[in-house]
Amino acid sequence: MKPADEIENVVKKMSFKASPEMDKDLWAETSKARYEFRKTILAPGQQRIRRIIMKSSIVKLAAAAVIIVLVVLGLFEFIGTDSTSGVVWADVVRKVQASRGLIFRCTDLSPSNEDDYSIAYTSPTHCRKEFYKDGQIIRTCYVDFTASDTATLADVFHIHKLCVTTTYKKSENGLFLEWRDDWTNPSFLLQKILSAKHSKLGQKTIEGVLCEGIETTDPACFGPLPGQVDNLKAEFRLWVGVETGYPVLYESKMSGEYEGEVWELESVMDQFQWDVELDPDIFEPNIPPDYEELQSPGVVEL
Amino acid sequence: MIEDELLKWKFKAGGKEALQRIYEKYRDYLLILAMALVNDAGLAEDIVQDVFVTFAQSSGTFKLRGSLKSYLATCALNRCRDQLRARKRQPLSLDEDTLMQSDFDPPDKRMISDEQSRQVAGAMAQLPYEQREVIALHLNAAMKLRHIAGLQNVSVSTVKGRYRYGLQKLRSALNGRL
Repeated sequence: MKPADEIENVVKKMSFKASPEMDKDLWAETSKARYEFRKTILAPGQQRIRRIIMKSSIVKLAAAAVIIVLVVLGLFEFIGTDSTSGVVWADVVRKVQASRGLIFRCTDLSPSNEDDYSIAYTSPTHCRKEFYKDGQIIRTCYVDFTASDTATLADVFHIHKLCVTTTYKKSENGLFLEWRDDWTNPSFLLQKILSAKHSKLGQKTIEGVLCEGIETTDPACFGPLPGQVDNLKAEFRLWVGVETGYPVLYESKMSGEYEGEVWELESVMDQFQWDVELDPDIFEPNIPPDYEELQSPGVVEL
Repeated sequence: MIEDELLKWKFKAGGKEALQRIYEKYRDYLLILAMALVNDAGLAEDIVQDVFVTFAQSSGTFKLRGSLKSYLATCALNRCRDQLRARKRQPLSLDEDTLMQSDFDPPDKRMISDEQSRQVAGAMAQLPYEQREVIALHLNAAMKLRHIAGLQNVSVSTVKGRYRYGLQKLRSALNGRL
C-alpha cells in the first residue's frame, strides 16, 4: 500500500490542461462577457476605484505589525520610572518620542510573506519602506503625511515596473487602515499607549548589547483593528538596550480570524537606528521613467 | 501574491490585460480543481467557463479583499456543488471494475491530461463528495484545512477526519495501479 504522503503527491501532480481549442473558446467567452458587460452596464468612470493597497493581506499584516510596534512601545509608559532594573521605561518612551528619524529592519516570518525583509526609514512627516527579496529590492513604499487632511501613498513595484499612487482622506477612526501617524510619528506613539499585563524577561545579551525584556499576551495590544477579528491571540516580546535606553528587538506573533479567513503573523524587528538625521530627499518617490504609473482618481475616503 | 494584488487592482480598474493574465494564470488551476471534483471533462469546462464569464462581469462589484486564487477556487467549488446537486449524482461504490472507468471514455480531446491523472480523478470520483472536496481543495487548490472547514461549515477536526479517510480510500483504490 502506498504511503499517505505518496498518495498526496500523486493527487497534487494531477494535471489537466486546456487544449488550444478549449483555450480559444474559453477566452472568447470570457472576453465577450467582459466586453458586453462594460458596453451595456458599466459606464466609463462609473466605478469608484476603492483603495486596495491597504486591503491586501500583505499590507494588512504589515500594518498589523506596525500596530504591534505602537502598542508594545506604549507598554512602557505604564511600567513606571521607579523600576529597580537597569532600564527606566518612562525614559525609553521619552527618547523614542524625541527621536528625529528612525531606521529599522522588519523580517516578516509569515508563510504568505513574499519578501525576505524590509528596511523602514521614518520621520515625523514621512515614511519610506523598502522590501527585499534575494538581495534585490522588489518594492518601495513612500508615505507623505505633511498634508493636514490627506496622506499620499506611492507604492513602487520594481518587478512589475509599476507605481500606484493613492491619496487617502485622514480620519480619526481609520487609523489602522490609513497607515498614517503610526511608526512615523513618535508623538502619536505616546498618545496611543495602552496598558497591558506583562511580565519581565530579565536580561540577556543581543548582538553584543545587554538588554532587558518584557513580554505580554494581551490581544488589546493590537490597538485599532480593521473590523471584527475573532480568536485574536498575541505574543509580544520587546528588548531594550540597558545602556542606550532604546528598543533593540521586537518578537511578535499573532493570529486571528478576519472575514472568514484565518491569518497568522510572526515578525521580528531589529537593527534599529534611533534619532538619526535623515535626508529629506529619500522620501521623494523615485519612479524610473520606464515605469507605468497608476493614479487612483480622487481622494479615497474610508 | 503581489502580482495578484496588482492584477486585482488593474482588473477592478477595467483593464482587459489584467483579465487575460488572470485567465491564463488560473485557467488550468481551475480545470484541475473542477476535474478533481466532478471527473467530467465537459462539465469541468463548463464550470471553468462559467467562473471566468461571471468574473469578467464582476469588475464593478468585485471585492478586492482576500486572495484572488482562493476567490476563484471558491467560485469553482460553488459551481461544482450546484452542478452535482442538479445532476443528483450519487457516489459510486468503490468497485474494482468501475474504478478504471472514467468520463474520459471516449477521451475528450479538448482537455490535455495523462493516464495517471485520469486514474486519480477516477478514483477520487468514487469518494464520498465531502471527502473528495477536502482532498481536492487541500491538495489541488492548496487551501488550508481551516479554510476548508469554513467552506464546509464544519469543524477543523471533521475536515481532518474527512481528509484522512479520503486518503485511506484513495490509497487502497490506487494501490498497485500507478
